[in-house]
Amino acid sequence: MPIRPSVVLAATLATSLFAHAAWADQLDDIKKKGEIVIGVLGTDEPNSFVDPKTREIVGYEVDIGNAIAKKLGVKPVFKQLAVAARIPELQQGRVDILAASLTHNKEREAQVDFSLTTFVTGQKVLVKTSSGITDLPALGGKKVLTVKGGTQEPNIRKAVPGVDVVTFETTQQAFLALQQGKGVGYVNDEASLVNDYAKLGAAKKDYAILSQSISVEPLALGLKKGEKSLKTLVDGVLRDLESSGDANKLFVKWYGPDTKLQFDKRTFKIDSDQI
Amino acid sequence: MLHFDLNLLRTGQYHDLLVSGLLLSLQLAGTTLVLALPLGAAIALLRLSPLRLLRSLGWLYVESIRNVPLLAHLLFWYFGAPELLPDALKEWLYARNIEAISAVVALTLYTAAYMAEDIRSGIRAVPWVQTEASRALGLGFLATMRLVVLPQALRVTIPPLLSQTLNLWKDTSVATVIGVAELMYQAAKVESASFRSAEAFAFATSAYLLVSLAITGLGAWYHHRYPVRTV
Repeated sequence: MPIRPSVVLAATLATSLFAHAAWADQLDDIKKKGEIVIGVLGTDEPNSFVDPKTREIVGYEVDIGNAIAKKLGVKPVFKQLAVAARIPELQQGRVDILAASLTHNKEREAQVDFSLTTFVTGQKVLVKTSSGITDLPALGGKKVLTVKGGTQEPNIRKAVPGVDVVTFETTQQAFLALQQGKGVGYVNDEASLVNDYAKLGAAKKDYAILSQSISVEPLALGLKKGEKSLKTLVDGVLRDLESSGDANKLFVKWYGPDTKLQFDKRTFKIDSDQI
Repeated sequence: MLHFDLNLLRTGQYHDLLVSGLLLSLQLAGTTLVLALPLGAAIALLRLSPLRLLRSLGWLYVESIRNVPLLAHLLFWYFGAPELLPDALKEWLYARNIEAISAVVALTLYTAAYMAEDIRSGIRAVPWVQTEASRALGLGFLATMRLVVLPQALRVTIPPLLSQTLNLWKDTSVATVIGVAELMYQAAKVESASFRSAEAFAFATSAYLLVSLAITGLGAWYHHRYPVRTV
């Protein structure tokens, strides 16, 4: 006997109603709690880092997180995470959203949802000039250093087949290992790399950033899968930031000509969650 | 989502990564054991030496190593110590697998401190009257040690030494922090590449468990085969 469409419809409706009742909405939970837990790295200037004077976590992504909390009318709580712990912490509900230099890529879309792209950067390689390396192919068979659990390792392996990659818990450790000569290159997001390069001070002349990017990295906020109302709200806040010009102000504040990073102008807009 | 993909562990690149990590962990533990045992024995003898200076040296070594976490040892031997070497030697070293070398140095020094205490206790467990008796029978000091004291001390010491080996095996996992591509490192890599945390860490955990059980079994067998002689 063929099943009548109305029966199917009724069954579907009943199931979806039940599903809604069973799955509490994360946005409601956040409002009820009165606080939103935002996962940040806290070690990645200028996205999120500890201000040496105030000892508080500040940065580009922290300001975005604050804007979201303000819109929700709740208190923002920033929780520092290791690079490799970001997605598991979000999936297990220990943080509500991720604002942790998170690259939006296809592989990760199966695990988490992404907001609109909040920043576009490339990943590059910092080398010691004494190594004689001036382009990416020259890194083949050489040891390069980077952080564990991010997209840096797979990207450099893709860009330079046969490269030897050693990874550390933080980017700072990888950078230190480069300075000590334990590898010829250090891979990181361009913004962080420029920032690290600036920290070298007088020693800058011994280092160079290879001009070719190993990848284009769209960064976005990470959200738990299927939390539609939270995603709508977060994307709404981001769109407001863009249309009011605040997004550009944030960019100038953390990345602009007066900062260590000295980016001339913004080459992207916060308007899409497609990559 | 919660599906456990056993095939991921049986074949493919993730399997290869995990197996290579396991092999490196075993190598790390093996090399360290071979180096730490004689060093531990030497430290134990220092601590039993009749000379006060040597005794103090042995004491200083054991206490300064035991009272600092292994993690700090590893970071020191990777980021700190090699920087103190002359440039030429440093470059020579850095061109090699400096990560594994630092890990072996740190693990060896760390494990030797614990083994030294076990060996010292073993030697002290043999009653002094036995030394006196064998001397009275006309044996020299070295012959006394070789024929009377050490064979008995060894039986007492093997179980705690196997227990230290067990610790050493598990401690190799800390080497991941200085970029040594051992089992934990590879498990974390498989996790971040595939997001299959359950499979990756199930493999790592079972591997640590199985090798640990094998070491424990070895200890039980030895204890049964060569029981400590009551004195």
